[in-house]
Amino acid sequence: MNNKLSFPDEIAFGRKEYSWRRDWQVNGWLIFATIISALADIMFPHIVSKWPAHWQAIVVLVQFLAISLWARSLVRWIRGMDELQRRITVSAVLFAVSATFFLIMLWHRLNAAGLFQALFGPGHWNIGTVCHAYLLLTIFYFSSHTFFTRRYQ
Amino acid sequence: MKNRLRELRAAKEWSQSDLADKLGVSRQTINAIETEKYDPSLPLAFKMARLFKQPIEDIFEENGK
Repeated sequence: MNNKLSFPDEIAFGRKEYSWRRDWQVNGWLIFATIISALADIMFPHIVSKWPAHWQAIVVLVQFLAISLWARSLVRWIRGMDELQRRITVSAVLFAVSATFFLIMLWHRLNAAGLFQALFGPGHWNIGTVCHAYLLLTIFYFSSHTFFTRRYQ
Repeated sequence: MKNRLRELRAAKEWSQSDLADKLGVSRQTINAIETEKYDPSLPLAFKMARLFKQPIEDIFEENGK
């Protein structure tokens, strides 16, 4: 394979071609946003919610700025692929983003209707955080990438 | 679309990886083209034609012709 090309397996943990350095170059900003979200939305929301509004806004904006920077590094990585790998990866990314958006919207509406509280009891059933989105994106991306790759094998 | 890529590559005694390196694509792409699962873009088809010194229509043939 041409060494100058980007290759999907270089960010697929467990594959022979996997590279920590490359994964960090492509997904570093998303991982950063996920860590901030995990700390602010899941581990310490009781502390963050007591902060002044402008600090809370900064915590949110930092996550979404990091996501914008991640989108830029993702586009650069995809541009470095050959035409078939690019086609497969763009299809997988589009599917993953759409499926994540769809699932979070559906979950949010069902949660607002009180379904999860009725089924599982009182608690926070919100999954509209960057941390949850990261998990869903990862699952949808790798499953759809495997599916789309099989079309061309 | 049918193609003679495998035949032309074999005549030069190149592996799929050799051809991939010469064309600047991945080995998976060469394999997908040879097994007719994927039709290359026009720029890649022209690159192949130049590499094998053959007209594009001698390498690729529309299905059903």
